[in-house]
Amino acid sequence: MTLQSVALTLLLLPAAGAIVLALGALRLPRTAVKWIGPGTVWLSFVCGLILFADQLSHNQAHDFTYWTWIQLGSFNVPVDLLIDRLSVFMILVVSGVGALITTYSVGYMAHEDDPSYARFFVYMNVFIFSMLLLVSAGNFIFLIMGWALVGLSSYLLIGFYYQREAAVLAARKAFVMNVIGDIGLFLGVFLIFTTYHQVRFTAVFGQVPKQDSVTLEVIALLLLVGAIAKSAQLPLHTWLPDAMEGPTPVSALIHAATMVTAGVYLVGRMHPIFDVAQYAHDGVAAIGALSAIFAATVALVQTDIKRVLAYSTMSQIGYMFLGVGVGAYGAAFFHLLAHAFFKALLFMSAGNVIHAMGDEQDMRRYGGLRRQMRLTSAAFLVGSLALVGIFPFVGFFSKDLVLGLAFSKPSLHDFPQIMWVVGTITALLTGFYTGRMWWIAFGGRPSPDRPVQHPHEAPPIMLYPVLALALLTLLGGLLQVEVAWHGGWKLVSDFLAPVVGVTGWSEGSIGYVIAALTVVLSAAVFMSAYNLYVRRVWPTWSLALPWAQRVLEHKYYFDELYSSLVAALDGLSQLVFRRVDQPLLDGTVRTLGEATKASAGALSEVETGYLRNYLLFFSAGAVVILLVVVVRLFG
Amino acid sequence: MAEVVFWVAALLALLGGVGVVVSRQPIRSVLSLVVVMLALAVLFLLLSAQFVFVVQIIVYAGAVMVLFLFVIALLGPIKESAQGRLRLQFTASVIVILIMGGFFWVMLNGVQFRAPQNPAPGVFGTVEQIGVALFTSYLYPFELTSVLLLVAAVGAIYLSRVDKGTPGE
Amino acid sequence: MNNGLLHLGSSTLASSDFLILAGLLFLLGAVGVLVRRNPIVILVCIELMLNAANLTLITFARQQGNLDGQIFALLTMVVAAAEAVIGLAVLVDIFGARELDDIDDLSELNG
Repeated sequence: MTLQSVALTLLLLPAAGAIVLALGALRLPRTAVKWIGPGTVWLSFVCGLILFADQLSHNQAHDFTYWTWIQLGSFNVPVDLLIDRLSVFMILVVSGVGALITTYSVGYMAHEDDPSYARFFVYMNVFIFSMLLLVSAGNFIFLIMGWALVGLSSYLLIGFYYQREAAVLAARKAFVMNVIGDIGLFLGVFLIFTTYHQVRFTAVFGQVPKQDSVTLEVIALLLLVGAIAKSAQLPLHTWLPDAMEGPTPVSALIHAATMVTAGVYLVGRMHPIFDVAQYAHDGVAAIGALSAIFAATVALVQTDIKRVLAYSTMSQIGYMFLGVGVGAYGAAFFHLLAHAFFKALLFMSAGNVIHAMGDEQDMRRYGGLRRQMRLTSAAFLVGSLALVGIFPFVGFFSKDLVLGLAFSKPSLHDFPQIMWVVGTITALLTGFYTGRMWWIAFGGRPSPDRPVQHPHEAPPIMLYPVLALALLTLLGGLLQVEVAWHGGWKLVSDFLAPVVGVTGWSEGSIGYVIAALTVVLSAAVFMSAYNLYVRRVWPTWSLALPWAQRVLEHKYYFDELYSSLVAALDGLSQLVFRRVDQPLLDGTVRTLGEATKASAGALSEVETGYLRNYLLFFSAGAVVILLVVVVRLFG
Repeated sequence: MAEVVFWVAALLALLGGVGVVVSRQPIRSVLSLVVVMLALAVLFLLLSAQFVFVVQIIVYAGAVMVLFLFVIALLGPIKESAQGRLRLQFTASVIVILIMGGFFWVMLNGVQFRAPQNPAPGVFGTVEQIGVALFTSYLYPFELTSVLLLVAAVGAIYLSRVDKGTPGE
Repeated sequence: MNNGLLHLGSSTLASSDFLILAGLLFLLGAVGVLVRRNPIVILVCIELMLNAANLTLITFARQQGNLDGQIFALLTMVVAAAEAVIGLAVLVDIFGARELDDIDDLSELNG
C-alpha cells in the first residue's frame, strides 16, 4: 500500500461506512451497526497512524494528486490531498477522539430503535469523512467542500431528535450561522482565485507576497469570518449553546473536539496569509480574547451542565484563536489537542451522568454524585482541573503556554499584553465556573429533587473511552513541558514547525512566575466555589448584582439582537416588495400585456369582414409593390 | 384605314367599359361586356392575331358570357340597394385607381420599347403557327390548362348539387 | 431602340395607343370591382380587367413579332373561363335564394 492510497483510504472508509449503514439501515442487525459505525473510524485512525509514522521518519510534505476534476482555462481543480505535519496532526485528533466517542455512543445511544441507531452512525460517519476531508484537502475547493459538509453533518446531528421542536430550531440556527460564515469563506476563496489564479494551497502560498496589501487584509478578514462562524466565536456564536440539543456524544465530538476547531485549523493552514496581513491577524487574537472572556462570564449563570461545557468550549477556542492570533501556532495547536482530550472527557462523563440520571441535565438536581458514581466523578474532576489549568494536567501545559507566549511577545503597542490580561482574567473566571459546576453536581449532598436516587455507574462501553481520555488528559502534558521548564522539550511545536513555522520568541523567566500565580489563583477560585455553593458560607454574588445576573442569563441579549435584526431585514424586504417589486416589475409586465392586447384590438379592426375593403387593401398593396419594383428596376 | 378601325373599336370598347361599371342592372353590365369583347376582338384582328380573334368571339363572348346570362336568368331580377354601407370605400377606391392611373401614365410617357425580336414578320398569328407552338413548345402548359378545365367542371358540378345542408358542405 | 410603331399593312399605328386603351379598360374594371356591390357585376368587372390584360399581351406580341404573347393570351382566356365558372357556382350557392344581392352581407369573418 502506497502512502497515496493510505491517504485516500483514510477518507473513503468513513464515507463507505456511511453509505453501507444508510442503505442497510433497515436490514442490518444491530451488531453489524455496532461494529461498522465505530469500526470505520478506528480504521481511519490506523491509516492516520501510518501517515504519522511516515511524517516522523521523513520530514516531507506530500501533495497527492489523484486526478484532475475541473479544467477550465486557468481554473484547474485537482482532486488532491495535502498530507503534511499539520494535516496529519488534525487527522489524528479527529479520527482518534472520533473513534473513542463513536465507541462510547454505541452504549449511549443503545436505547434508540434500530433505524435511528443506524441513522446516528450514518451521520457520525458522514461527519468524520467531512472533517477529514476538510483537514486533508490540498486545495481551496475541497476545503470548501469539507467545510460545507461538516456544517451539514452538524445540522443533521444537532437535529437528530427531530421530533423535538427545540432540536429542530437549534439545528436550523446552527446551519444558518454556518452559512453566514461560509459566505465569508467563499468570498475569501474567490478573491484568492482572482488574485493568484490558483486553488492549490502550495501554489497560492508560494505566491503570497511578504508585503501587506489591502487585498490580502480583505482576504484574511473574509477567511476569518468563516472561521468565526465555524468556531462559534463572537459575534457568530449564538448557535453553540443551542446545539446542546443534540445527543451528548455529538456535543463531545463536534462541538468540543473537532468541528469547532476547524476555524483554528483554517487560520493555522492559512498562516502564510495571516503572517503578512497584520490587522486581520490582530483581529484573530482580539476576537479570541473577547470570546473567551464573554463565554466565561455567561458560563457563570448556566444551570444546564451541557451548557456550561458549551460556553467553556467557546471560551477555550478563544484561547486557541488568541494563540494563532499572536503567532504562537505550535502552542495554539497544542491547546487544541489538550482541549480535545479534556473537553471530550468532560462531555462524555457528563453523558454518563445524564444517562444515569434519566436524561436530567439541570445540575441543581444532582448533588453528591461523587459517592455514587466514583469513576465518572473522578474522570470529571480530572477534566475540570485540566480545564482550569492546574498542574500536572495537560490543560496547564497548554493554556499557560499560550498565555505565557502572549505576555512575552515583543510588540510595539502592547497589544499581545492586553490580550494576556483578558486571557488571565478569563482563566480565573474559568476556575470559578468550573468549580461551581463540579461542586454543585458532584460535591455536597444529594439534591432533594433528584430524579434518580441511586444512579449506577456507566456500563463498560461507556466507561472505557472516558477512562482512556482521562489517562490522556493526565499524561498529555508530557508532550510539551515547555511552560514548566523553558529548556524542556516541545514535541507538538517541533512536530508542526516545518509547516507553521517556529515561534519567534520564548518566555522569559517571568513566565514561571506568571504560570505559577495563575495556577494558584485559579485553584483558589475553584475552591472558593465550594464555600459558595456547598457550604453556603458566603452569599452568592448574584445577590449583590442582580442586574448582572439578568444580563448574563440573557447572554448579553445577543439572541434578542439577532432576532430583531432578522425581523428588521424581513420588514425591509417586505417594504421593497410592496413598493418596488409589485408596482415596478409586476406593473411593467402587466402594462406590457395590456398594451399588447390593446394594440391587437386596434389592429384587428382592420378585419372588417367586408370583402370590398379587402379588395381595396389588396389593390393598394399591389400598387405599392408595383411602384417598388419599377423604382428598383429603373430608378 | 387601320386608324379608323382602331378609333372606332377603341371608342366602342370604352363606352362598353363605362357601361359595365355604371349599369344598375347586372344584365346590362353583362351585355356591355359583350360589346367590349367584340370591340377587342376587332382590335386583335387588327394586330394580326387571327386565331385569338376567333377564339375571343366563340369562346369568350359566346360561351363565358352566355354562362353569365344563364346565371342572371337563374337568379332573377336583382336589386342593389341604393346606399352602400361603407362610406369611405368609394373615395378610397377612386384615390387608389387614380394613383394607379398616374403610374401607368408615367410609365407610358417617354417609354422606349425594346427592339422587336422578329421585325416585319410575313406570316404572323396564323392558326398553323399557333397550333405548332401549342403542340411543341407550349405542350406542357396546354395540357395543364386542360386539367384545369376538368377541375373547374368537376368543381362546378359539385358546388351546384341539390342535396346539401349548409353551403359549402 | 424602337418607338414601338406598328406597321399594319399600309397604315402605321403606335403601340402605345393600344396600351393606353388597355390601361383605361383595366382601370375601369378595377373601379368597378371596388365600388359595385352586386357580386355578378364584380365578376364581370374582373373579366373586363382580364380582357384588358389580353389586349396588352397581343399588342406586345405584334410589336415584338413573338408569338408567345398570343399563346399567353389564349391560355389566359382558358383560365378566365375556368375562374368564371367556379365563381358563378359559388355565387349561386351563396346568393341563390336571397332578395337582395349585396356583397356587403357577407361580413361575418370580422374582428
